[in-house]
Amino acid sequence: MGNKQTIFTDEQLDAYQDCTFFTRKEILRLHGRYHELAPHLVPMDYTNDPDVKVPLALIVNMPELKENPFRNRIVESFSEDGQGNLSFNDFVDMFSVLSEMAPRELKAIYAFKIYDFNVDNYICKEDLEKTLNKLTKEELTPEEVNLVCEKAIEEADLDGDNKLSFADFENMISRAPDFLSTFHIRI
Amino acid sequence: MELREFNDVVHPPPDYPSPDVSQHSLRLRTVAAPAPAQQSSGVQFDWASPPPEDAEDSSETRNLRELPLHMSLKRAVRQVQQMRVPVVSSSWNIKHSQTFRRFCEVAKNILSYFVLWKRGIQRIGGHFGGGVQSYFLFLRFLVILNFLSSLLIAAFVLIPSIVFRSLNFNSTSNITIVNTTGLETCMQYDPKPDALMVFFNYFLDLVSGTGFMEYSYLFYGYYNNTMIESDGFSYNIPLAYLLTAAFYFLFCFFCIIIRMGGTARVVVETGAGAAGGYCMLVFTGWDHGLQGDRAVKLKQNNVRYRLQVDLEEERLKKKAASLTLGQTVSLYALRIFLNLIVLTLIVATFFGIAKATQFSQSMKTTGFTGLLLQYLPSMVITASNFVVPLLCDKIALLEKYSPSTTVILALLRAVFLRLVSLGVLLYTLWEQITCKGEIGSDDCKLCGYYYNQYKCWETRVGQEMYKLTLFDFLITVATLILVEFPRRIVVDHCSCKLSQLVGRQEFLVAPNVLALVYSQTVVWTGALFCPLLPFINTLKFVIFYYCKKITLFQNCQPATRNFRSTTSNFFFLLVLLFGWMLASVVLLYSVAKIHPSYGCGPFRLDPTMWDAVPQAVNMLSTTSRAFLFYIGSQKCSIPLFIFSCILLCYVSALTSVHGKSVALLKSQCALEQRDKQFLIRQIEELNATMQKAEHEPKLLNTENEPFQHTAATQWNQHNNYAFDPDEDPRPY
Repeated sequence: MGNKQTIFTDEQLDAYQDCTFFTRKEILRLHGRYHELAPHLVPMDYTNDPDVKVPLALIVNMPELKENPFRNRIVESFSEDGQGNLSFNDFVDMFSVLSEMAPRELKAIYAFKIYDFNVDNYICKEDLEKTLNKLTKEELTPEEVNLVCEKAIEEADLDGDNKLSFADFENMISRAPDFLSTFHIRI
Repeated sequence: MELREFNDVVHPPPDYPSPDVSQHSLRLRTVAAPAPAQQSSGVQFDWASPPPEDAEDSSETRNLRELPLHMSLKRAVRQVQQMRVPVVSSSWNIKHSQTFRRFCEVAKNILSYFVLWKRGIQRIGGHFGGGVQSYFLFLRFLVILNFLSSLLIAAFVLIPSIVFRSLNFNSTSNITIVNTTGLETCMQYDPKPDALMVFFNYFLDLVSGTGFMEYSYLFYGYYNNTMIESDGFSYNIPLAYLLTAAFYFLFCFFCIIIRMGGTARVVVETGAGAAGGYCMLVFTGWDHGLQGDRAVKLKQNNVRYRLQVDLEEERLKKKAASLTLGQTVSLYALRIFLNLIVLTLIVATFFGIAKATQFSQSMKTTGFTGLLLQYLPSMVITASNFVVPLLCDKIALLEKYSPSTTVILALLRAVFLRLVSLGVLLYTLWEQITCKGEIGSDDCKLCGYYYNQYKCWETRVGQEMYKLTLFDFLITVATLILVEFPRRIVVDHCSCKLSQLVGRQEFLVAPNVLALVYSQTVVWTGALFCPLLPFINTLKFVIFYYCKKITLFQNCQPATRNFRSTTSNFFFLLVLLFGWMLASVVLLYSVAKIHPSYGCGPFRLDPTMWDAVPQAVNMLSTTSRAFLFYIGSQKCSIPLFIFSCILLCYVSALTSVHGKSVALLKSQCALEQRDKQFLIRQIEELNATMQKAEHEPKLLNTENEPFQHTAATQWNQHNNYAFDPDEDPRPY
């Protein structure tokens, strides 16, 4: 491999390495994937930090996200504008948090954001119903959905306000042994 | 700490500056936020903030990665960190630690290439979930364990034997002064095969371990009981053989314990989490790594099924609680009756295995029927391990336990069946070899074992284990080719009702893992008598990996039933440990009690296998001998034992303290939340009364002041136990 890559400066690669859980090679590979999403939009040369955002519709077509019922929420939670348009920074950030090296606390923070559909910093009953419907492809009966949501809130809600704050959510996640392995996307 | 910072980010306090600015480290400084409802974009940085008091470079980088901020903000933080002028004396330190860290990361990256089958297992996990992946991880663990053990055995037993035999070193026999008169019949052992062999016989011998295979490095009987001495270099083969076997067992034991420790820690940390079933399922039930339309659909069905099963369990529990006395009694009577049936089935299996073993050991026919007879115990064990769990499953349907209890019970019964059936086989062999334990009986009086039938009993035991291993391998491959592939072809191409009913094969993890545990137990049992068995097992498991992977991707659909991978990992390692204990009982008994064969093997003229060790110790110098005796004496061992008991108590006390502190912290969390609610209500009441007071004429201003003051004092009193000192005590 004789060609020295000119996609990023060394300084930028160091910055990415320090801010994410990826190595240099993985960051370059991620840039390749990002470029594939919108070849006419994403420049190959990132040395001067271009301000390019790939729209939501293109990102959710990635094979890793295509079949995920929460793909829209995931991409929206990592975008700076909240609409799902990811710059390369956000793109790398997203896969860094979803990688296997990210710690439990960090993943819990973003998982909470993802499941909070109406972005009010609480997971209320409507958020839970939406989550459940996405999980089961809306094949549960409405009574079952209602019952499950009530039971879930009853189990996790510690302060009795009928919705889950981040503290309740994190408390519940800390008791889940599988959380780290399920909240994980390989790229 | 991170949690509070995140709360600051998500709910930034309104215009008030933080009271204790100087004590906060440079992580996150929230200055002004336009509206509380905005997300982390409202965060700004206080560039003038003083540097943190203890600057550890690596911990800063670690924490930078773990900040829940957008990347551009993280890069800004990093720039600030780097702009900070380092203290002169520690600049070299910082650069040095940075390069060291980079080097570690590169090294870790390179080492990850050497992980066996990493990509394959990741792909399996992606398509079939954590449960199936845990089976393959277990298989990989066993492959590496067997490979390392075979290296150990090869290095200390096999290679020296080959070298010394081929170089014809000066060898001296260990025992020269043993009265061997009258024992000539015991020493007759002539397994050397005919020079000319028909191919069919060759194949028979290969498969049953007799003939040319018997007198080879494969089995115990070939090794010599000699001590090689040349130019001051001596190698005691019997001692090496025995000690290698002992170290092999200890090595496997430690590997299992270490792996169990890792799994157990997760279980303890998360409190053996069966609590919080519904919310756990909703929030952590989805595997985000799944790809592929089919896998996703199946996962959705899986989640729906699990939720419905949980709801069903609730209904059943309610129904069970509402049963009348008569119904409860009849239910329990039914359960006891069915358990008795299961027990009878299992005991009948054991009886069948014992009879088959006795029959096959006593027959001496050759040819194909002889081969079938030799494989009779293996066939009976495999057939029973297939049929009996099936029957138990059908019986369990009648027992009306809750679904989770049914699964656990089925697992326990299968484990019991597998391990104890192997134990029955070994017991029957022992009965035959030692004439049911009575050394004084006619058959066993002369040599200490049943020499007429067992000229070299260790090789015979080794052959049995070899046959079990081989048969297990053949059956698995045959099932693959003859059952699973045709089933898939039939289901895919024939749309009759039967095929829809049967459906595609499901990869059931529990029976497969138990099969692995059984194979490994057989290998452990046979390792003393068949030193190459771990190596054969390594090859067998490697072939298993590829076969199972092929069948998984071609023929199987993901399991529709729940499989909690973490706690079950622990259970499977526990069962492996039970297998190890069974094998170690066999090892200890054969080493210490049964008289080794006179005609073969490295211990031929010793009264027991263990005797090689005292003889070797006697040849050591006086000081080493004295040291070894001291370690083994009561003066040393009893205090050591007491000390290890104390250590055990300390560690278990530590565990319970950790558990209690976890529970305490959880209740403290809950209490804090309730306090926060109470305070918010108080603030709202306060605000309401304040607003009411503002509407009244301004003349009453002076009277309001003391009112506000007392409210503020009340607030501060609550401050003492509700909040931590450095949290902002202003209104929310």
